[in-house]
Amino acid sequence: MHVDLLGAVLRDPLGMTGSALLGLVTVMAILAPALSGYPPDLYTGQILSPPSAWHPLGTDSVGQDIWSRLLWGARTSLLVGAAVALISTSISVIIGTTTAIFGGLYERFWMRAVDAMLAIPPIIVMILVAAYLRPNLLVLILLLSALSWPGGARICRAQTLSLLERTHLSAAATFGAGWRHIIRRHILPDLTPIMLALTVGAARRAIFMEAGLSFLGVSDPTMVSWGKIMQQALQFTYLDVWRWWLVPTGLALSLTLVSLSLLGFALEGAMDPRLDGGQRHGDTRSSHA
Amino acid sequence: MLEIRDLVVSYHGSRVLSDVNLRLEYGDSMAIIGESGAGKTTLGLAIMGFSEGTTSGQICWQGRDLLRLPEEDMRSLRGKVVAMVFQNVEDALNPVLNIHDQVKEAMTVHRNGPGHAASARAFGLLEAVGLDHERAKSFPHQLSGGERQRALIAMALANDPDILILDEPTASLDSVTKGDVIEILRAAASDKISLVITHDISTAASLSKKMAVLYAGTIVEMGRTEDLLKNPRHPYTRGLIRSYPNMTTTKDLQGIPGRMDREADGCPFHRRCTQRTDICSRLPPSMQETNGRLIACHRGGIVPLLKLRGITKSFGQREVLSNVSLTVLEGETLAVVGESGCGKTTLARITIGLCDPDRGDVLFEDETLRVRGLEFYRKVQMIYQNPAESLSHRMSVLDLVREPLDVQRLGGRQEREASVRKALDDVELPSDDRFLARYPHQLSGGEAQRVAIARAMVLQPKLLIADEPTSALDASIQAKILRLLQNLQEKRGLSMLFITHDLALARKVSDRIAVLHRGMLVEEGPASQVVSSPAHPYTRCLLEQAARLDATIGSPGVESSAGRGAAAQDRDRWIGAAAVNR
Repeated sequence: MHVDLLGAVLRDPLGMTGSALLGLVTVMAILAPALSGYPPDLYTGQILSPPSAWHPLGTDSVGQDIWSRLLWGARTSLLVGAAVALISTSISVIIGTTTAIFGGLYERFWMRAVDAMLAIPPIIVMILVAAYLRPNLLVLILLLSALSWPGGARICRAQTLSLLERTHLSAAATFGAGWRHIIRRHILPDLTPIMLALTVGAARRAIFMEAGLSFLGVSDPTMVSWGKIMQQALQFTYLDVWRWWLVPTGLALSLTLVSLSLLGFALEGAMDPRLDGGQRHGDTRSSHA
Repeated sequence: MLEIRDLVVSYHGSRVLSDVNLRLEYGDSMAIIGESGAGKTTLGLAIMGFSEGTTSGQICWQGRDLLRLPEEDMRSLRGKVVAMVFQNVEDALNPVLNIHDQVKEAMTVHRNGPGHAASARAFGLLEAVGLDHERAKSFPHQLSGGERQRALIAMALANDPDILILDEPTASLDSVTKGDVIEILRAAASDKISLVITHDISTAASLSKKMAVLYAGTIVEMGRTEDLLKNPRHPYTRGLIRSYPNMTTTKDLQGIPGRMDREADGCPFHRRCTQRTDICSRLPPSMQETNGRLIACHRGGIVPLLKLRGITKSFGQREVLSNVSLTVLEGETLAVVGESGCGKTTLARITIGLCDPDRGDVLFEDETLRVRGLEFYRKVQMIYQNPAESLSHRMSVLDLVREPLDVQRLGGRQEREASVRKALDDVELPSDDRFLARYPHQLSGGEAQRVAIARAMVLQPKLLIADEPTSALDASIQAKILRLLQNLQEKRGLSMLFITHDLALARKVSDRIAVLHRGMLVEEGPASQVVSSPAHPYTRCLLEQAARLDATIGSPGVESSAGRGAAAQDRDRWIGAAAVNR
């Protein structure tokens, strides 16, 4: 049962595709200043110009280079995705494991809170809150995190409850180990696959939500975001500009979301050996021998 | 009455006997047992006045101190009042005289009566020990070992002595001859004071009413033969009995670690003793009497390590354990036997602290446990039924075995790794780097369970709770693992609470067996007794179900039909009831 998760994901064609796409977007985001000649907010002097040698995707209605806005938009999306994924997964793991271990009133409080939060669609809450706060990047990340942990917490709790029944935890307790040791050495390692899956899922949802909120125009207007680019482009669909303005942005967003979906799918397959006919089990054996 | 007071015998400054005190009345038969070199023969020789070393103390016989008696007087007593059957059969007889003449000579030395009367009595004595007229006229070299031993007995009895000392009377005799000789000796010694000196516990048992255990010249335990053998209280006595092959006990033979060391300070046995404390190496223990048993031990004999008192536990409506009380002594194995669902595992979990009893106390080293700290878990460890579950699949062998040391924060990195390697060596697993880097799924079931045992033993606990440790393994690996556990017990005096459903297994590994039925303790006793004469019907059922290799047992022909019917009814009642209960 010792599964080499990363290897398994990379061997899966879907996982491979997902990783490659995500890698591509990441490289674009990191190298944004080098790949584009202009800062994203710079007025180039040309308005709605078609693609040219200086402007690979032309310029938009306020004279900004679309290609550079696209690259900087990837930065926002990935940053929001990564940060929300980390924060919300951490909250999920902390709430999930502690409620499972300590139980009692503490557990009941948090689990009812989770039920309540899962019952309300987060997008609606998000729109309402964002409309009042006009959140900047940091607030947006915190808001998204605060709304996306409950599902993961419930999964972590269930998994921890089943882990608590394992004999190796009892064994550790009979060496005199306290909860800190047991969580660190026995529970967290067994939660890793679930944590990975939660991270990927949370990142995907966060990127989607950020784009959506920007599209609706309820986030900080100074933020460069794919959602906002698409919203601006939609106002000029009667011109030809949508071909190099709307389509590449939409494609970038879709590909990022698809890459994360593929990764999540591959992870799920790797974590549950029953999904692939036991062939992977042999693989992992040899990979450790 | 023969009384030995503070007898000390030493050769060239080294003590062979120290502070031996014995009191024997007419009709008393005392056995002195111990390993060779314990000073048993020296004691016999001292009484005979043959001691070559320097002696002090007193051996009193009818107001006279035999040790201070002039050699002239002693000679007149020898043979007539004190006679000894010697150990060495080959040299004790004169090769140029026939045995009848030798027996007659023993008499004529003391009595100046008519020769023909002595001759007739010699024939009579030889007849009584089973040597007929023709044999009586034989020379020693014409006789077998058993016959020579009989002749020696006849010689010792020639003058009808008051004190008969038997030094290894049955050594090197086959078991049938041994039986005969024991019968003769028993008849001869009934109205005398007899002292049997032997390492053969069964001879000692059949020839004595009282028994003293001699170790390195000191008596460590003394009491009634039957009690002493059934319930030895000194660790050395228990060791002797465990290492003696016999038909009564069922546990595998075990030795006593180490060698006898006469020069040891303090308690002579302390270096080989597994329950020694500081005081044992400093002061020699004094003899203490409790319930007619004399024990020389600072700790008052084998100490009870774990006591369970009135343990009661329910899960919901169902009472899993009701009022269970058990004691595990130092260095012994107590098997808890019962079918699944009888509460065995719950008992183990309560003992180790994974679950709290509703009522009752767990005492470890005579202290009631409320909170179990690191200290407790250093002394008590558990091995679980299934190694695949008790070993985390995410940890390598090194991490697994090192975990208890990490938790207990014992030693530095290097020391911990050294302890891990040693623990693996102890359980006969490789301890090289390649094995240390392996993961549990790369180990066989037997190897994995050994890793689990190494992990439990790395803290060097005093008590090991083993919950069906071998039920997931096949028989040959099970045998090896049980052997291993017994070796650890022998080496370190490890006590074990051995949980199993298998009575056939329990009888081979345990000193005592406790039978649990539906949460109640129905029977407890020495393993041999529980197996040979079970008192409770449920135990009889378990016995009937236990593994056997002979095909005939259980077929209707073996038992009478009435007996068979009763047994079947019993089984239905006990096994069936349990099934319904579940």
